[in-house]
Amino acid sequence: MAETTKAAAPAHTENSNKKWAIGFLTVVLAIYAINKFYIPTAPAQVKTFFNAWFSLTSMGEIMIYILMALGLNIVVGYAGLLDLGYVAFWALGGYVAGWLMSGQFDQWQINFFGNPPAGLPNGIHLNFLLVLVLGGVFTAIWGVIIGAPTLRLKSDYLALVTLGFGEIIPQIMVNGEDIGGFNLTNGTKGINPVDNIKLFGHEFGPFQLADKFLIYASLAGLMIFFSLRLRDGRLGRAWLAIREDELAASMMGVPLMRTKLASYAVGATAGGVGGVAFATLIGGVYAERFNFQVSIIILSMVVLGGMGNVWGVLVGATLLAWVNNTGLVQFGNIINSATGKNIDFPSFNFLIFGVLLILMMLYRREGFLPEARVRLIMHEEEFSDVAVVTDDIEVEGVHHHEHN
Amino acid sequence: MIKSIKIGALAIAGAIALAACGGGSSSSALVVGTDLPLQGASADASTATNNAIALYLEQVGGKAGKYTVTIKQYDDSTAAKGAWDDAQCAKNAQDHVANAAEVAVMGTYNSGCAKIEVPVLNQDPNGPMLMVSHANTNPGLTVSWDPGEPEKYYPGGTRNYARVVPNDIWQGTADGQFVFQEMKKTKCAVLNDNQTYGQGIAKAFADEFAKQGGTVVVNEAWDAKQTSYTALFQKIKAAGADCVFFGGIYDNNGGTLMKDSVAVLGDNKAFFKMAPDGFSGYPDLQGMPQAEGLYLSFAGKSLDGMVKGGGAAGKFVTDYKTKYGVDPASSYSIYGASAMQVILKAIAASDGTRKGVTAALLGGTSPVCLTDAESITGVGFCIDPKTGDVDKKSVTIQTMTGGKETDLKVWDVQ
Repeated sequence: MAETTKAAAPAHTENSNKKWAIGFLTVVLAIYAINKFYIPTAPAQVKTFFNAWFSLTSMGEIMIYILMALGLNIVVGYAGLLDLGYVAFWALGGYVAGWLMSGQFDQWQINFFGNPPAGLPNGIHLNFLLVLVLGGVFTAIWGVIIGAPTLRLKSDYLALVTLGFGEIIPQIMVNGEDIGGFNLTNGTKGINPVDNIKLFGHEFGPFQLADKFLIYASLAGLMIFFSLRLRDGRLGRAWLAIREDELAASMMGVPLMRTKLASYAVGATAGGVGGVAFATLIGGVYAERFNFQVSIIILSMVVLGGMGNVWGVLVGATLLAWVNNTGLVQFGNIINSATGKNIDFPSFNFLIFGVLLILMMLYRREGFLPEARVRLIMHEEEFSDVAVVTDDIEVEGVHHHEHN
Repeated sequence: MIKSIKIGALAIAGAIALAACGGGSSSSALVVGTDLPLQGASADASTATNNAIALYLEQVGGKAGKYTVTIKQYDDSTAAKGAWDDAQCAKNAQDHVANAAEVAVMGTYNSGCAKIEVPVLNQDPNGPMLMVSHANTNPGLTVSWDPGEPEKYYPGGTRNYARVVPNDIWQGTADGQFVFQEMKKTKCAVLNDNQTYGQGIAKAFADEFAKQGGTVVVNEAWDAKQTSYTALFQKIKAAGADCVFFGGIYDNNGGTLMKDSVAVLGDNKAFFKMAPDGFSGYPDLQGMPQAEGLYLSFAGKSLDGMVKGGGAAGKFVTDYKTKYGVDPASSYSIYGASAMQVILKAIAASDGTRKGVTAALLGGTSPVCLTDAESITGVGFCIDPKTGDVDKKSVTIQTMTGGKETDLKVWDVQ
């Protein structure tokens, strides 16, 4: 059975990847074109409708969530390492933007193709693209630093330690206002405003939202590309091997530590780039944002969408981010105005969310769009009992062998 | 497939039709947005503020000069955070600008949120767009405070932000003057909770207390996650302090702080302790025997003081109770109506454009003022056209007596 899937998979997946990629590109370009060329001259009702249901800020936010969910997907979905502290990388990336694109360090005056606000040259103002790269590199380094000691742990223990780091890093940001007299993070006040993006002589401020959306969508697109290419490459296959069976993978010559660290670093990079992008989206960095719930929401995007499958994660991230920032409020408004009630729908967020998760776990554990492999594993019981029994025997056999 | 497309198209058409119901505006019909955290811990206060504003607008017939004004409510919190959310604030700012009929914003409740929204409203191509807050007390929004403040919030170069409550400098300053002059204390320990509000108010208190001639013997942050503050108060005792100032909010482990301070230093009659409005309005604290005799302060007037003062404020609070069946949750709701008064006054004096409304309040030479009789808080004031700060710096001093916050006096900053 395994052989048949193997033979059928490549041609099939490549085809479906192409379809999905074209779909993603079409949707992004459509959103851009509608907002750039149609909305400015559209009738007021249409404007109101789009602003309420598909506002560009939330679209940009969704793209950033896609980027980050795909980053976490590499750690959780590809390499099978449960990470409950992903928000730490978002925070680190965000603060890189805060440090390098604002007046935070006002004792210095550095401007490298940056965009300091008129009349306020103090602080460090680097170019957005450079900050993206630096943010990615910085978080990758931190990914390795955090990963090196923790990745020796397994399953639950690893999850606990990542949870710890996810709590520690934001706490450092909250308390980093006075580190030996040096104001690193500006504490709970956060760093704002972060400079407007300026690329090739064009400034993208708070009202060039369509262009900004395109920038964030390109970042998400790049991450999709990297995710797909990495998965098929040597490293990606090593990750999958570790996910399926760590022991077997190491027996086959996969260097466990290095491969796991690579997944952590790549995942962290995406978090860092996402952090930089998010800081420019809202024009500031605030320590309060980086709480445990964010880690969980991003993890849910990966799990709901379909662990390990790039397109599943894309759908999961889009859906959850949209429901969170727009959907719930708008559907609530419609229901309220139709029934004349005044129910605060967003406050039921977690209830709806929890029920959804339970239903998913009961009826569709593998997510909306599962990876082919995961689907096979999750639905093992659907195959004949005989097959399962032989499987068990086989597994036992392996264990036996090991002990000998 | 075709069927599902048809259904989808119908759904979208239906949604457009629904969304369209709210539209339609002529040039004399203007919208003022309110921008408040409607979910989480501040939800009650925010709802009361929206109610108070709606009531006030109803009382003036929805008019500002020749313009008809309606309210549009925005929520700057998310259920997930249970408090104001940075991304939501950024989105709201863009939505204010995108809503063509909207000319000004009443809000926000949290200074952090205002710091995101003000620069965006400031860069509005048809603006700058005016924001008047009823509750932001962080000084940096209007006056020189942290590096780059307040200029960094006004990238367009002109001001578009005002507020009707005195900022933390004035509350801390009033407390410093009161403690030194009235309570005759000379050695104060100043604590802060390491957050924006707490640090600001503690700094203002310490500066003014020292300026008056007092000595700040301990100036430290308390860690909200600590389980005991005994060591901290031992240190304060050893330093020979005769007063303690808690610059911060009660949520940051204020209960433990209060209990430990009494255990080490003695009750509030024996040892003078004072806290700013970050400790006001907490039933937990009010019910705590250790809080008896604690001095509190409050920027502006308390709800109690407004009602007792009678006049416009007393009548408004009574009207509120008649209409909604409950008392307004806090005096911030009345200040919300007060901020609305300022906005309406600016609209009436303007040409009905965003730019015009902002210019009517800020950047000119003659300030917009409300008389004692006009002002819904019962106290007249002017908005400084240069900074947007209020000129009436009244701070209410209270004591905790019998489990209730009781007004002692109103301290006007000298």
